[in-house]
Amino acid sequence: MRRGVVLPRAAIVGVLALGWEITARSMDPLLYVPPSRVLPALGRLVALESFPYLPEHLWLTLREILIAYALAVGGGIATGFALGLRPGLGRIYAPLLGALYAVPSVVWYPSLMLLFGLGAASKIAFGFLLGFFPITLAVLAGVRQVDPHLVTVARAFGARPGTVFARVMLPSMLSTLTGGLRAGLALSVVGVIVGEVLGSKAGLGYLINYAYGLLRTADYVALVLVALALVLAIDGVAALGERRARRWA
Amino acid sequence: MTGSHIVVDRLSKRYDTSTGAVQALTDVSLSVGPREFCTVIGPSGCGKSTLLAMIGGLLGPDEGSIVIDGRRVAGPDPRRVAMVFQDPGLFPWLTALDNVAFGLELQGIPRAERRRIAADLLGPLGLREFALKYPRELSGGMRQRVAIARALAIDSGIVLMDEPFGALDEQTRFLMGEWLLDVWTRARKTVVFVTHSLQEALALSTRVVVMTARPGRIKSVIDLPLPYPRDLESPEIASFRAKLWGELREESLKTMNQ
Repeated sequence: MRRGVVLPRAAIVGVLALGWEITARSMDPLLYVPPSRVLPALGRLVALESFPYLPEHLWLTLREILIAYALAVGGGIATGFALGLRPGLGRIYAPLLGALYAVPSVVWYPSLMLLFGLGAASKIAFGFLLGFFPITLAVLAGVRQVDPHLVTVARAFGARPGTVFARVMLPSMLSTLTGGLRAGLALSVVGVIVGEVLGSKAGLGYLINYAYGLLRTADYVALVLVALALVLAIDGVAALGERRARRWA
Repeated sequence: MTGSHIVVDRLSKRYDTSTGAVQALTDVSLSVGPREFCTVIGPSGCGKSTLLAMIGGLLGPDEGSIVIDGRRVAGPDPRRVAMVFQDPGLFPWLTALDNVAFGLELQGIPRAERRRIAADLLGPLGLREFALKYPRELSGGMRQRVAIARALAIDSGIVLMDEPFGALDEQTRFLMGEWLLDVWTRARKTVVFVTHSLQEALALSTRVVVMTARPGRIKSVIDLPLPYPRDLESPEIASFRAKLWGELREESLKTMNQ
């Protein structure tokens, strides 16, 4: 990254931290923690002093995210193509999908907990549910983007349906598809962590909720920073994948 | 591969549209011999593109049949027929070279081999320096030349062209015609060329098929046994032009007044 970006960005973070420090010092120290207390808490967290089992919790959350996302990708791509390639089916189901997507997803979570229990399964289900919609809708939009003339050309040169799919449809819809896949990943992460915060026995979200419940505010903020780092790392991997996919096209 | 023989026998085709059935072709019979440059001309909507798509196997007939070198057309068969469309239809994510090689790739020809064939084609077409450019970096005329090179690459006996120069400006169109003639003289393929330009038909064809307004039938077939390159101002061409225009005018009027 160039200096022209890094410096202003560092300045913004610095100013915000300073403002935070000044404000927090004038408030109830039990509820408001300044950065000067968060940083030591973060240090203890990373040194595994405050939460010795942090790696296990993180690993669980990461696995939940990966499984949820894999299911969302598989289900979203299959559903998207099933509806997109059969216009009749699409006309029937696509509006329902849009309506479901418009409902605030959190309302589904209690029923998922009833169905799947307090363990990892309900988090995976919620992460799947959140990631599934943007992927499905991206595939549907992508299928509509394919230029029918290019399909005709490919057929004229002897392409069978499988070849048309791989050599014409996929490249045509690539940017929409990768955008949807990335949005789906972000939402799968949100689904899993929110699910853990709302009710669970393990995972990063559980730790956040636990620290918050015991009013260990500094630890709580430090854990949120860890969650932020996790999300940034995952999105970084996704951006890398997206760039690579674009180069392939 | 050089020129194949096309026999179109009593072909009819109807389209079902939202506003009812449209009879696109009625009882079209036509024979195009090896190495002919056969131009199909007619008012817009006369079904000439439909006829071409059916010879290419992209559409099936309602009645009648199409036979190429003794074998009935049942679907696209790039080993026998290559196609060029008005919209070049280049794949935007492939370079000019890989676009030309596309048909060869589908036929399972190894990458190095198909790139060699494609590069050999691009050179004489004046596109050597553009081999690694993407379609968006090429002009309209260049794109259409790449599309024609893609059709020539698969080395079928027949090349079908559906108003390939229709979207180009007049000067480019004229030069492309000269260029195509040169390619055809050397490659010696059977060409069926759809156009609505009298000039193109007169400059290029060994035979002109005039189609009627919808429903498309064959109105007349005019042979042009003249050497190339042709002087479009010569008295001979002028008399053919008058004859052709006489046939075409009536049909164009019908279309206009519909």
